[in-house]
Amino acid sequence: MVLPPVGVIAVFIGFPVGAAIAYTLGKTGGPNSVMSLLAQHEHVAKHGVTTAPYREMLSNPSVREDLWSTVWVTIVTVVVVVLVSWGIALYLRLNDTWLARTVSGLSVVPLFIPVVIASYSIAIFWGPDGFLRSVAYHLGYHGFPSLGFTLTCVVLAEIWVNIPFGVLMMSSGLNSVPNALIEAGRDSGASMPRVVRSILLPMNVIPTVIVATFTGIYVLGSFTVPYLTGPTQPNLLGPTMSNFFTAFSQPQQAEVLAMIVFVLALALGTAYVWANIRASKRAGATS
Amino acid sequence: MKRKLFAMLGIAMVVVAAAFAAALTGSSDAATHHAAKSVTINLYASGDVNVQSLWQDHLIPGFEKANPGIKVNLIFSEHGTNDTATLARIGAAVKQRKWPGIDLVDGGLVTTLATDGLNQPVTKASAPNIKLLDQTLLTSVKGAAIPYRGSSVVLAYDSTNVANPPKTLSALLAWIKAHPGKFTYNTPASGGSGYSFAETVVDSLLPQSVITQMDQGYPQQLESQWKQGFDLLHSLNSSVYQGVYPTGNQAVLDLLAKGQIWMAPVWSDQSLTALKNGQLPKTIKLTQISNPSFTGGAAYLGVPKTAKNKADVYKFVNYVLSPAAQTQIINIMSGFPALPLKYLPKAIQNQFADVSANTLRPTYSQKTQSDFKAAWQQQVP
Repeated sequence: MVLPPVGVIAVFIGFPVGAAIAYTLGKTGGPNSVMSLLAQHEHVAKHGVTTAPYREMLSNPSVREDLWSTVWVTIVTVVVVVLVSWGIALYLRLNDTWLARTVSGLSVVPLFIPVVIASYSIAIFWGPDGFLRSVAYHLGYHGFPSLGFTLTCVVLAEIWVNIPFGVLMMSSGLNSVPNALIEAGRDSGASMPRVVRSILLPMNVIPTVIVATFTGIYVLGSFTVPYLTGPTQPNLLGPTMSNFFTAFSQPQQAEVLAMIVFVLALALGTAYVWANIRASKRAGATS
Repeated sequence: MKRKLFAMLGIAMVVVAAAFAAALTGSSDAATHHAAKSVTINLYASGDVNVQSLWQDHLIPGFEKANPGIKVNLIFSEHGTNDTATLARIGAAVKQRKWPGIDLVDGGLVTTLATDGLNQPVTKASAPNIKLLDQTLLTSVKGAAIPYRGSSVVLAYDSTNVANPPKTLSALLAWIKAHPGKFTYNTPASGGSGYSFAETVVDSLLPQSVITQMDQGYPQQLESQWKQGFDLLHSLNSSVYQGVYPTGNQAVLDLLAKGQIWMAPVWSDQSLTALKNGQLPKTIKLTQISNPSFTGGAAYLGVPKTAKNKADVYKFVNYVLSPAAQTQIINIMSGFPALPLKYLPKAIQNQFADVSANTLRPTYSQKTQSDFKAAWQQQVP
C-alpha cells in the first residue's frame, strides 16, 4: 500500500535530484547528455567525480556576494515575519474586537495577490518616483531614500509576501490554547504579559518553528521577488541561478548554486523536524 | 473567531477569483477555435511582447485565413528565456532523427541552429519568395536560415531636454558622464538593447578581425580582450540612473516614458511601436550613432531538419515573405523588411530610403554572447 507513492516520489523527485547531483560532480553522460550538449564551461569527470564546479562557484567573488546576501536577507525576513505575525495573532487572540478582526483580515490579503504583481508594485512604491518619496518631497523632506531595487526592498517585499502564512499559522496555534488556561492564570493573579510568557508562548512553539522554517526555505529559493525588486549585483541566488542557467548557458554552474540553496534549506528542515520530535516526545511524557 | 477569519478569507478569495475569471474569459475561446483542422505547424518564437503580437495577432491569423486546413500553434518565450533549453531540445531531436515538436523557429537561436547544421538548408525550401531575398544575408548562416525582418538598436533621447544628441559612441560616453543619472541600459542578460550597448562599447576597443571572429564563431581565447571595454563600462556605474541596471528592454522604455532618464539604447521596432501606441511621448526621438554603430541585423526563421509537414511550413514561410505580410511587419512592428524594397509598395520604399536590414552591424554568435553576458555580470555592476 505504501509502495505507489514511494515509487512516484522516487521517479519524479528522486531521479532528477540524483541526476542533478551527478551533473554537478562532473557526470555529463546519461540523463545529463542533452543538457550538456550546449553547456558552456562544463567540468567533466572522466573517471570518478570532480568538485571543480563547486570550487569554481565558491571562489567566484560575485557568487559569494550573492550567497551572503541570500543568507542575511533570509535571516532578517524570518525574524521580522515571526515577530510581526506573533504580534498580530496575539492581538487577535486577546482582543476580539472589530478593529482586531479588520487588522488580521488585512494581513492575509497578500495571499491573494500574485507575487509578480506585488513585487512590481512594491518596487515602484519604494522607488525613486514612488509614493513614499513623493509624499516626503511634498512635506519638504527631500532626502528620503530611494529603496526600490535595493536589497532592503527585497526584504520588504519578502516580508509582505510571507506575512499571511505567518499570521494564519500563529493565530490557529494561539486559538488552540484553551480559554480556561488563560482564565486560570488570570484568576491566580498573573498579569497579561505573564500569561503570554508562561502559557501562550510555550504552547505555540511548534507553529512558530513552522513559520520560521517555511519562511526561511521560501526566501532562500525565491526568484520573482528579488528578480523584480532587487539590485543588479549582488542579488539573491534565485536570479543568479536563472542567469547562469539561461543567459550564460552554464547549467552545471546553475545546478551547483541549486545544491548550495538545497543544503541551506536542509539545515532549516532539520530544525523543523527536531522541534517536532521534541514536541511529540514531551506530549508523550505528559499524557 | 476562527470561523470569522475563514469567512473573511472566503470573501477575499471570491473577489480575487472573480477578477481573474473576468480577465481570463477573453482569451479562452481562441484556443478551441481551430480544433477541427488537419495540419498543425508548431512555431517557436522568442523576443519581447511586440514579437509575440506580430505572430499571434497578425501573421498567423492572416495565414490561417488564406490557408484553411493549416493551423499554426505559437510557442512563445518572452525575452528568449527558453532559447537555450529549446536549442538543446532541437539539437538532441535532430541528432536522433526525431521530431523536436517544433517545425519553425524565430529567435536568436536560429543562427546557431543554422551554423551547427541542425536546420534544413534553404536550397531545399519550397518557398518561391526566398529566391527574391538578398542572398548575401544567407552567407553568415551557411544558407540554412531565412531572413524575414530586420531590426536594430538605436539611441532614444528626450528632445525636450537634449537638443543635440551625440552622433558618435565617444560623444555618447562623454554625454553620459556629463549628465549623471540621465542614462541607463538594461542588463545584457535580460534584453538585447542593453546587450547591444555593452557590446558596442567593448567592440569600440577591439580590432575588427577579433570582432569578426566573435561574430562568426566562438574564439574563447580572445575573450580576455574584453577587459578594457568592461573597465570602461564599469566606470559608468556612478553615471547611470540610480546605479542600477533595469531588467528587460521594456523597463528602460518605461523610465524614458516617465522622464526619469533622457537617453537610452532601445530596439528600433519596439520603440517605434511604443511611439505609435502612445506608450512613449512624442518628444522621444530616435537616432543612430556611429564609430561603431549599435548592433542589429536580420531576424531569421529556421526549419529544423526533422520538422514535420515541411511543405506546409514553407507555405507559411512564403506567406511571411510575401509583400502583403512584409508590409504588415513594417506597419505593425515598425520592423525593417527582409524582402528587397523594389517588391514593396511605393510608400514603403520612400520610408526606408536610407536603411535596410543587411547594412546593420552584426552581433556576436550565440555562444560568445552567453560568455559576454556572464563576463558583464562579473565585471561591470
